[in-house]
Amino acid sequence: MSPFNPEPLVARLFRRVRKRFDLGMQEYLTALDAVKGGWGDSPDHLRQILPLLWCHSLAEQGEFALIWESEMAATKEPIASKSDKPQGKSSRKDDPPPLPPTPEPEIPIAPSTSSTNFAPLPVRSPTLTLEEEPSDLQLHFPASRRSMTYTWRYLRRLVADGSVTVLDIEATVEQAARQGFYLAPVYRRREVNHAHLILLIDQDGSMMPFHRFTRDLVETAQDQESSLIEALGVYYFHNVPTDEIYQDPHCTKPVPFSEVLATCDDDTSVLIVSDAGAVRGYRRMERVRATTDFLMQIKQRSRLVSWLNPMPTERWESTSAEIIAYLVQMQPMDDTGLSQAIDVVRGQALSNRHSESTL
Amino acid sequence: MVIKSDRDRFQNNPKLRPKNAHHDSPQDLEPYVAEPELIQAVNLAIALQRPLLLEGEAGCGKTRLAIAVAYELGLPFYRWNVRSTSKAKEGKYEYDAILRLHDVQAKQVDSKLGRDPANPKDYRRFGALGKAFQVEDCSAVVLIDEIDKADLDFPNDLLTVLEQPWEIEIPETGEIDDQVIRAKVPPIVIITSNQEKGNLPIPFLRRCIYYYVSFPKDAASLQKIVAAHYQTEQKAKRPSTPLIQAASQRFLEIRKEGLLKNPGTSEFLDWLEALQNFGSKPYSVSDLAKGNGIPYRELLLKMRDDWRKYPSAS
Repeated sequence: MSPFNPEPLVARLFRRVRKRFDLGMQEYLTALDAVKGGWGDSPDHLRQILPLLWCHSLAEQGEFALIWESEMAATKEPIASKSDKPQGKSSRKDDPPPLPPTPEPEIPIAPSTSSTNFAPLPVRSPTLTLEEEPSDLQLHFPASRRSMTYTWRYLRRLVADGSVTVLDIEATVEQAARQGFYLAPVYRRREVNHAHLILLIDQDGSMMPFHRFTRDLVETAQDQESSLIEALGVYYFHNVPTDEIYQDPHCTKPVPFSEVLATCDDDTSVLIVSDAGAVRGYRRMERVRATTDFLMQIKQRSRLVSWLNPMPTERWESTSAEIIAYLVQMQPMDDTGLSQAIDVVRGQALSNRHSESTL
Repeated sequence: MVIKSDRDRFQNNPKLRPKNAHHDSPQDLEPYVAEPELIQAVNLAIALQRPLLLEGEAGCGKTRLAIAVAYELGLPFYRWNVRSTSKAKEGKYEYDAILRLHDVQAKQVDSKLGRDPANPKDYRRFGALGKAFQVEDCSAVVLIDEIDKADLDFPNDLLTVLEQPWEIEIPETGEIDDQVIRAKVPPIVIITSNQEKGNLPIPFLRRCIYYYVSFPKDAASLQKIVAAHYQTEQKAKRPSTPLIQAASQRFLEIRKEGLLKNPGTSEFLDWLEALQNFGSKPYSVSDLAKGNGIPYRELLLKMRDDWRKYPSAS
């Protein structure tokens, strides 16, 4: 038997999984290190080693197993492969679905494992074929819960007027040195985040697919421990905020919009989450007009207004979203968009990417 | 790449423990049955000097593995239990400035403190990583338990410590620049996490070797675990083979039926212990096999709805 040379195989596999699993050169070199150290002297051995190094969840391990199978099937075409893979159309007549390419019968497995075990990546094309470069097919999915939690932290206006509980070691030492004796520790006031945020969230209809993400957004903002936003108002509306908006996601507890506006001062951050018609791709003047009215009302109170659109920027074109993006800082709801939106609502405005590119 | 001697190769055989084990090594035998893939993952982590991240159901032996590795290899073992308030620095060292200040005053009254306020090194206490970095002749095993419990940034703060050049700076005592504490032998770091979602930060995950510890799939592997667990017990206390078989069958059935919270290996061992030794004589094998209710269900069912589903067997 010819000696097994793992390096080309490692390289091929790495190219296939790199973008998927978000790996860097370091991971590839580590795999080569492991191979050189005698860890991958047979294909079976290698199949066990690589997931340990490259996969970081059960779902990824499952995905890797599929990629491995297809890679092995491709390389071992002439030899009878032991993994019982169909070698062509003709050799497998008993198989019920007569699908031509090799790995296709296994495809239904991939979405099912990822949907059950891999919560943060729920949007993935179910018709993914392994032969294509998969990263190109990965759909736009809005920001992850983790990045939302991170981003909320930047929304802060720290003022030291909390309870007097923080021990100031430096001041204590300094006081002891000045007095010549140590009397009592010096305490400072705890810093409190005085940020005031109003979240306005479009609910139902075209926003239905994004409910999961808007819910995540609300929950991460409400999580006192990590977000530290002192005053947070979450309100819901359908398509366009009217005179009444709602306090609950099911739109059953109405509250007058004017009342919400009354809580708004020039330090209040307002974040609107809506697709602005970009999901269905229509452009309706009445929606634009109603939205303009509503935006003007807010802008009279606060200039810290930003709009998060769960659709990617390319899809705003020739919809109402494109027009509204001229009126307000509109950002797509991905990681960068999210942090830019937070920059805007905390008063560190950047230029609007969309308006810039279209102007 | 450094291929280490056999001393640093985990083989899941506690008998291989060297005679001259380090004094911080666990003293009591840790019975552990590791899957071959897990053994491989441990050895890969040792060879590549990368942290081994273990995820999986609660009670499936994530924490125990670290102890088993330290026991078998005779290496010092330092455990760091992460809490929601843990900071990355605590694993390295803690510095007690207030105690030092106190000592300056107290010294005028009592000169036998055992600590000298002029020497800042008397006021630093090393954490698990700090201790591990100072072991000179062998690697130490560091267990960072339940890393997901800590603050969001915690894993990222750890990154720089857990890689080349393996050093810890202590600015308070002037141990910086060329005075840093540098590990002569990098430690073996084992990290456990309960979170089944990939919720740890990506840069952190990239540096880890990832292994998912799953529950034993068949009765045979459960029985192996039982055998390992009872190997040091006296014969009278050991459950009989039919009881072990019936119990593992029944246990797997219960798990298969889909509980809200599945019991893990540790619960199984507790349950078996109760079946064997709690009553005046071991629980009847035939009663257990019949499957009317669950004896000692309070050991296995931890949710109200699960609890209601199964009657107790008296």
